[in-house]
Formats: sequence, structure tokens, C-alpha cells
Amino acid sequence: MPFYDLNVPWSTPNSELPRTLSFLAESYLIEPNADADVCAVGYNVVALNFTITGKLPTNFACAIPDPLPFVVPSKLTVLRRLTLVLTTPVNNAALTQLASSYDILAVRPVDEKSLLLAATSLDSDIVSLDLTQRLPYFFRFKTLAEAVKRGVRFEVCYAQGVGGDAVSRRNLIGNVQGLIRASRKRGLIVSSGAASAGACRGPWDVINLASIWGLGQERGYEALSEEARKVAVTARLRRTSYRSVVNVVYGGEQAAKSDKKAEIREKGIQDVQEKRKVHVLDDTSPAESEKPVSKREQKRRRKAELEKHAETKGSVVTPDHTKM
Amino acid sequence: MVRIKHRYLLINILYPDPKSTSGRPATKPGDEVPYTVQFRRPSPDRMDGGVLTRLIRDGVAELFGDYGSGKVAGSLQVKYFSQATSTAIVRVSRDHYRLVWAALTFATRLPNPVGQPCVIQVVRVSGTIRKSEEEAIRRARLSIRQAEAAAKSSNAATAGLAAATPQLLSTEDDDVDMINGIEDPDDPRDIEEDLDDEG
Repeated sequence: MPFYDLNVPWSTPNSELPRTLSFLAESYLIEPNADADVCAVGYNVVALNFTITGKLPTNFACAIPDPLPFVVPSKLTVLRRLTLVLTTPVNNAALTQLASSYDILAVRPVDEKSLLLAATSLDSDIVSLDLTQRLPYFFRFKTLAEAVKRGVRFEVCYAQGVGGDAVSRRNLIGNVQGLIRASRKRGLIVSSGAASAGACRGPWDVINLASIWGLGQERGYEALSEEARKVAVTARLRRTSYRSVVNVVYGGEQAAKSDKKAEIREKGIQDVQEKRKVHVLDDTSPAESEKPVSKREQKRRRKAELEKHAETKGSVVTPDHTKM
Repeated sequence: MVRIKHRYLLINILYPDPKSTSGRPATKPGDEVPYTVQFRRPSPDRMDGGVLTRLIRDGVAELFGDYGSGKVAGSLQVKYFSQATSTAIVRVSRDHYRLVWAALTFATRLPNPVGQPCVIQVVRVSGTIRKSEEEAIRRARLSIRQAEAAAKSSNAATAGLAAATPQLLSTEDDDVDMINGIEDPDDPRDIEEDLDDEG
């Protein structure tokens, strides 16, 4: 049940950022056992967002340094995200290259044409629109549905609306309602876009807002946790596997999937389980016992393997579960 | 007999900005107050239940207009306000509590006699005031222990969520599940005609 906030803007003089991250991570109730979700009142995973407008930079390195130059709250996982504002046309090759140094890639269309482009052909993880402007076009179900089928999610940022400006609030509510209607409540994620700690809101408050705007409590909860998790996982699959279909897994006695990014721990549980099942049917791995591996065992193995920093590719190729 | 059903929202007022004035709690010089304690500092002196009521009413009026104000006005009341812990319990009628919740979410600063930027977070929604009270007490205890743990650990920047924090309640108290979230489920006697469903 972790909560995700996939849009925390990153800028170079980042004096506000440690405070904002602490505010987001504010966990008040700690469950005693380590397996259960920690934060009842805060976010578990946060993505720092770096925005590029206009021409792509020639340097494809990640603008957000690793490790981060300040102290991060211990329970918070930090991902790195890039948002590209689509003022100039881009092609997929450049996108993929740029995206490989970040965890998540988002695009921000500026008009209807770029929205169509982003939804149908561009290879991004998130489509984020500036919903505080009056949009001269309507959202169409066909465009959005096609995007969601490809695995692209649409993002709603609440910080500007909450900030206090009446006009942007009105636009935000109107546009969100249009988005919800056209997307049939599927394929949406909600994130903050909060530049300072004062613009952040607790996850349940955000879910309540979403439910007032028409999304409903359940879907709102999904938007903040499940759908965002899907974005993070799909993004990782896109980067580490061949066309998101096939991934070479470290074989041998460790049946767990090798994680390049140690931060994204629990997210691949479903994927891994699915792989487990296919594994048994295929009967290719010598390490598998007759019955499928229990979840606890999987977790233990994964942990052990993480500590060993397994890198080399094994001899077993397993089909990945397809992107959503 | 028609009984008016209420919802009691337990809210926390958090102060995200660094404290500009002096008047810090007594700490050793050079010892930075950890973030947890900073965010949950006591409210300014001029802040009380009346200011909070005004904040909510103005918020609802701004967001939902006369219609919203009318719906909410009859049953809106601040039942409890603690300056020291910056916690409050607000009563609203059961049918319109989401409006008040939204107005609280959209609040960015406390109104004029106080005038500080704040973030209001609803922590618990329950049908009886007793449950909200219990939750408030539990959180107050937890926050004291957390602050102690944070003060002990030399790392002032992180919240110092050491595993040493003992738990007062066992894990069967989980107030987070997917359907209801932080809302307490309805009393089985209470589930009758739901006149307008906003969820």
C-alpha cells in the first residue's frame, strides 16, 4: 500500500528540497513488523522531476546527481524523472537515449497535436499536461484509451490548484473532470508538483480531492498507489528488458530477478510471481523445486541476491510479463 | 426519530515553513530541531477554535459558494482544539464531510490574526467523537516518543525513526485499508438511506 508522489520538481538551487522531502515522507505511525507498509500518513516513493523545455540537450547524463547532495529521509525511496515539454517535435530514438539515464520519462504536450503524438507514438511513461491553463480542446476517449493500452499514464498535478490562485484552481478542476470523463477513470495518476513543503498534501487528502472531482475513493486510492506503482515498474521494464518482453534473469540458485536499481524493491512482486509460474511450466531452471517458490522464500532470495550485487546474466531466459 | 449523523474529522495542522521568529524550545546551541518536531510545532498564541471555524467557513464559501456554505453551516463545529499539539476535532454532518475536508485541504494559511502558512491534514474520520479522541491521544503519545527518539539520535535532519520506538497498539489496529482509508467504517445501525452520495 505504498504511496507514490511522482512529481517533485528539481531545480539547481535546491534549498527547499530537503524540507519538502521530509514533509512528504512524514510518517507518523510505524508498524512494528518491517514487512508491513510504514507510512500511514506519508509518501513512500518520490520522484524528483527535472524539466527540459525546447531543444534536447546534447548531454544525455542525468541532471539529478547520484547520490543526492543532501540527506534524504530514511524511509523514502527517491527516483529520478525527466519531463520534456513538447514545444519542438522529437523522435523516439532521442527520447529513449535521454530516458535511459533517468528512472521515469514524462512528456508535457502543449497543444492537441502534441497530445496526440504523445499518446500514440512517443515512448514515454507519463503524459503530464499543464491543467491549470484553459485548454482549447476536449479530451477524447479514443486518444486516451489508446495511450493507456500502450502503458502510458496521464498525470494530474495538484499543487498549482491548491496554491491559492482562483483561476488556476478553476481550470484545474474543470480539466481534471474532463480528463476523468474521457479516460473513464482509468489510467490516471495523481502527483504533487510541489515546489515547496507548503504545497504538499497528505495522500488521503489528495484522494478525497480526487473523489470530489469525480474519480471516486477507490479509483483515487488506486491513482495514488497502484497506478503509480505500475508506472514505476513499467518504466523500469522498458529500460532493463528487451522490448519489455524478455528479460534475462540471473539463473543458478538465485531465482530472483536481478535489480539494477536497488531502490525499487517490492514493486516487481507481481512480475516476479508471474515469472515464477511460467518458470515452473517451462521446467528449464535446474534450481526450481517441484512446487513454486513461496513468497517468503522469494523475498529472502531477492534480499540475499541484492546484497551480493548480482550482475552477470545467467543462462536462463524467462519471458517477462508483457507491459500493460 | 430522525437523528442527525455526524462525522468527526481529526486534523493536524502542520507548519511547513521554518520558524522565522525566535522562541525555540530549549535545545542545546547548535542543535538543529529535527524536521518532525518542526513541522508539528505548537500553534501561535492567537490561534484557537474560533479562528479554525472561520477558516473552514471561509474556505467552504470560497470553494463551494453559497450552496456549500448552506449545506455545511448547520452542523459545522470545532469540538476540540489543542494549541500545544496543533490538533483539532471538527464535527460535520455525515453527508457533507467531504466538502469540509476539501476546504481544509485547500487552506494554505491561517486567517488574519494569525497569518501563518500552514498545511492541514485530516488524519481520521469517524462517526463518534470518542474514536477521534482516542486517536488523538494515541498520536500525541507516539509523537512524543518519536520526538524523543529523534532528539536522541544525533542526526537531526532525518526524523530519526528508530526501531526503538515502542508500539502502544498491536498491528490489529490498522486504520488504513483500501476501501475506507482513514475513515472509520459505518456503525451497522447507521447504514440507512444515503441521501446523496458524493464518493
